[in-house]
This record gives sequence, structure tokens and C-alpha cells, in this order.
Amino acid sequence: MEHAPAAPPASDGPPAPVGRRSLVAPLADAVAAIPDGATVGIGGAVTAGHPMALVRALARRGVRDLTIVAPTGGVDVDLLIAAGCVRTVVTCYVGIEGLAPVSPVFRSAVQSGAVEVIDLDEAHCVQGLRAAGQGLPFLPWRGGVGTSFSQLNPSLVEFNDPLLGEPLLAVPALELDWALIFAEAADAYGNAQPVGTGHMDALIGAAAARVIVQVERVVSTEEIRRNPDRTLYWRDTAVVRAPFGTHPYSNAFMTADEQHLRDYVRAGREGGAALEQYLDCHVRNGDHDDYLEQVGIRRLASLLI
Amino acid sequence: MSTTADPTPGDAAGAAVAASGPAAAGAAAAASDLAPPSTDELFAIVLARDLRPEDRTIQIGANMPMARAAAVLANLTTLPDARIVVGLGVQALGDGGAAPPVLPFVFDPRTRAGESLMHQARVFDDVAKPDVFFVGGLQLDRRGNVNLFGIPGRDGGWKMRGPGSVALATMSANCRGYYVVMPSHDPRTFVERVALISALGDRRERARLRLRGGGVRLVVSPLGVFDFDDDGEMRVRSIHSGVTPEQVREATGFPLNVPEDVPTTTLPTAQELALLRGRVDVDGALRARA
Repeated sequence: MEHAPAAPPASDGPPAPVGRRSLVAPLADAVAAIPDGATVGIGGAVTAGHPMALVRALARRGVRDLTIVAPTGGVDVDLLIAAGCVRTVVTCYVGIEGLAPVSPVFRSAVQSGAVEVIDLDEAHCVQGLRAAGQGLPFLPWRGGVGTSFSQLNPSLVEFNDPLLGEPLLAVPALELDWALIFAEAADAYGNAQPVGTGHMDALIGAAAARVIVQVERVVSTEEIRRNPDRTLYWRDTAVVRAPFGTHPYSNAFMTADEQHLRDYVRAGREGGAALEQYLDCHVRNGDHDDYLEQVGIRRLASLLI
Repeated sequence: MSTTADPTPGDAAGAAVAASGPAAAGAAAAASDLAPPSTDELFAIVLARDLRPEDRTIQIGANMPMARAAAVLANLTTLPDARIVVGLGVQALGDGGAAPPVLPFVFDPRTRAGESLMHQARVFDDVAKPDVFFVGGLQLDRRGNVNLFGIPGRDGGWKMRGPGSVALATMSANCRGYYVVMPSHDPRTFVERVALISALGDRRERARLRLRGGGVRLVVSPLGVFDFDDDGEMRVRSIHSGVTPEQVREATGFPLNVPEDVPTTTLPTAQELALLRGRVDVDGALRARA
């Protein structure tokens, strides 16, 4: 196409500078665009670093028929199931470590048939997310050949590799519509700086069309520039500030809330009115600030490292 | 990475020691405190003894405190050159590093310590590095296969859903060797054939599929220690003190050959127990677990 010469400015002087667009969004607005039936990846690992404020906001919305990709999930998966948002869970683990070897709502919903589970090995999660990020239909993996994985999850296809003829599994790309990720800090332009290992979060973001990163602090880009080696960014990102937002799970500055988790597990196992009461108090009762008030400042302060 | 899944271990031996509770442990645990070992303490010591000089990186998953204790114990005694991966940190205690504290959750941010970090996504970029790891299971069969998926229903759904297989398939395929830790031993957990396979233990199948790892080294249960013969069938290596061969046979859901002269599991020495309680598990977590 011919490049047309730019029209001269209408007024005298240089054109007004166009500022960089802030990607910071209120919590409820950020999750408002996630539609029924979306495939949503959730970051974090076991009891650490899950974007729980985003999860609760999504549960509040009453979105339905989600496919949740949670490599090592727990309460996040449970709350979305309990709120009626989930049709399918893609995972290698849904539990709360020593407190609940299997997350209670996940277990009962899968056993009743209300929710379908698609089993992957932890490394299959990595390979599937990578394949999506790399724009490939699949990546191969050895672990899982000869097991029940391809029987439980027919999308995992055993094949003989074309070079040596060794039996391998084809792990299909885990393409996500949305990724919900936690980082300790980000600037307004979507430069996220998690503290620590970041679990599978970078891959979850790369596999997703859109990313919402929940942070403890929105910092200046000057602060981000001090440690550019720690920055992650994705193509289409919203930044949501939610202090203590991983609660009841941990982040770099806060331990997991063991007592809250025990209370949750009790309610989840009991189900019925006990679970409804938990949801009323901690999910349906207002916004993230209401949640923090419900938990209480004494409890929150006690968790800080 | 791996996890035990049985929500109700509750064997008699474990229940008996639960009464002693964490109060009896802690700072009071010294060489003179010779309360008999709990099941988890016995597991830790049996596993620590079997770890080998070629185990340079010992990887511990979630909800495996007895394995964590075994790795720390070995690193402090027989394997000073090893690295141990505990939660988010990679530690090495052979040069005097402090033993990682016992924390309720293995991914606690305070485990982000040591000389390197455990990156969940990058572990699988160097599958030769974790030499050894530990597997818990809902079911174990006579060929060494482990099921952590759950028990499928007849209609295609789930009769009993487990947590998922975590990384059992990958770690069992690639590691130099792994240990199966069974918190309960009864005909529902030690079965002829697992309902589903999370970790392929069967030696013949492993060879056919050209898996690179060495497979199951040992199985520990509240009743004994088991390994696999040349044909890949489970056999008794030792039974724990106070357990009869008949008890082991009755608790096992397949015909188990228990030789008449089967040895008794060597009891933890006073030195091993003192080190375990005084430096590794100072809070008594392994004695509190029933």
C-alpha cells in the first residue's frame, strides 16, 4: 500500500503527545467480560499465589459453563464449582495439601457428575501450555505412556516418535481464552513482577488470549525498570489491585491462612447449608474489601511474614 | 509434585502414637527420649537409610512430610553432597546449612530459601536432575503400579475421586528411582490390579515402553517394607517389629509370598531417633500425624 504523506498539523507547534494507556481496572470490571463457556486458566500452585480476589469476583458474577485450567488448584476451583460456574476442570491436582488430600467440593461435584475432569500430568500441563504459547498443535512427552492417562483423557494420544520410534504421548495445546494470574506487583502498563518462582504463571499467560493480573501493589514504571529481569508481560493484559488478594493462600509477603483453610474444608465437606454460609460470608457478601473486613485485620496482620 | 491421598490413614500403630502428641516432642526430644517411633518416623528412617550416594537431587512433593524428613536426615548424615528440594527451595545441608523448618504447607513462601529455587515449570526441562522422589497412592498393585486418580464408577463416572496424579507419571518415568509410601495397608489399598495407573511400576511394561528411570525401589507401609523380584512381583523385604507374617498376608489383596524367615525391619537406633527429633522434626510433626 502506498504510504500517504502525513497531513500537516492543523495548528501551529508539535502534535500533543499521546500518553501511554493505563491498563489498571477495577476488580469487577476486569472479570466482567469473561463470558459463559470461556476457557479460563488460573495461576498459583497448591497453597501459594492463586489470584483469589479475581476468582471470588468471577464466582460472584454467576458466569456459567466455564472450563477451568488449574494445573495445581484447590480452593479456587472449589469456589467456582460451588458458585455454579464450572462445567469442566483440566488439572493434575485439586487439593489443599495436608488439610484436604482432595478439595471437598471438587470431589463431590466430580463424583456426582456435575463437573467433568480432564486429567493431565503436571508436566503435561507445562507442555500443553507451551504448545499453545508456541502456536503448535501439541508437544510430545514421555511421562504417561503405559499409564491410564490416554484412556481417561483421549486428547492425549500415544504415538511412536518419527526419529527413534519410541512411544510418546502427544499433549495437545491448552489454548486459553483468559488467564487469571497473581503477581506481587505490576505497573499500570501490565509489566508484572512476581516474587519467587512464579509457578506456571508465565506459561498460563502465554497460552491465553487475554490476561488479568492481580497484584498487591501497582508500582511506578521506574520501580519496574530497576529489575527488568523480573518482568513478565503479555499481549493483552488488565491489571487489578487487590491487597491481601491471595488470601487464604500465600504470597511472598504472607503465609497461607491455615485456620481459614481448615474452616473452609469443614464447610466444603459438610456441603449444604455450611457451604452456602461460607459462600454468603466470603463470596456473595459484597466486594473484595468486604471480604477483607470479614476475615479481619487481626487475622490478616498475623499472616504477614 | 507428589502427594499422599488417603484421607484416613489411621492405622493402629499411628493411632497409638498419636496419643503422645506434639507436646511430647519438640524441644524435649533429646537422645534420652526413647519413645517408640511413630509410623511416619519409622518411614522417614527406613527411607533415609535406603537413599543412595548417586541420589544427588532428592525431590519432595506436597503432603509428604515423612519423605521430607528422610531427605533432611540423609543429607545431614550419609549424603552430605545431595541437594534436597523442599517446597520452593533447593537446599543443601552437607556444608552446615540449617535444616528447613517443618511448615504446614510445602509451598509456604518461607520455603523460598536455600541455594536455589524450585521452579514448577522448569523442573521438567531437566528430567535427569531429580534422581529420586516419593509417591503416595490410593492403591498399589502387585506389579508396583500406583493409582492416585481415584476409583472409577461402573457407569463411567467416579465412585471415588482422588486429587489427580500430580507429576507421578513423569517423575516415575524419568527418576533414577522412587519410593512408594502407603499410609495404610489393607486389601483395598494393596490390590491385585489398580483400577487406574498413575505411575507405571510394572518392570516388564517399563522395559517394553523404554522408560528411562529405574522404577520403584521400595514400598513402605505400616506393616512392612516391600520390593520387587526379578519378575517384577512384589515381595516382602522385612516386616515391622510386632507385626506377624499372617497379618501382612491378610492385609494384602493378592497372594503375597512371605518367607518363614522374613527379617524384622531394623528398629531405629537411639542415634537416628535423636537426630530425627532433635534436628529434623523438632516440632514433632511426624509424631502428631496419626
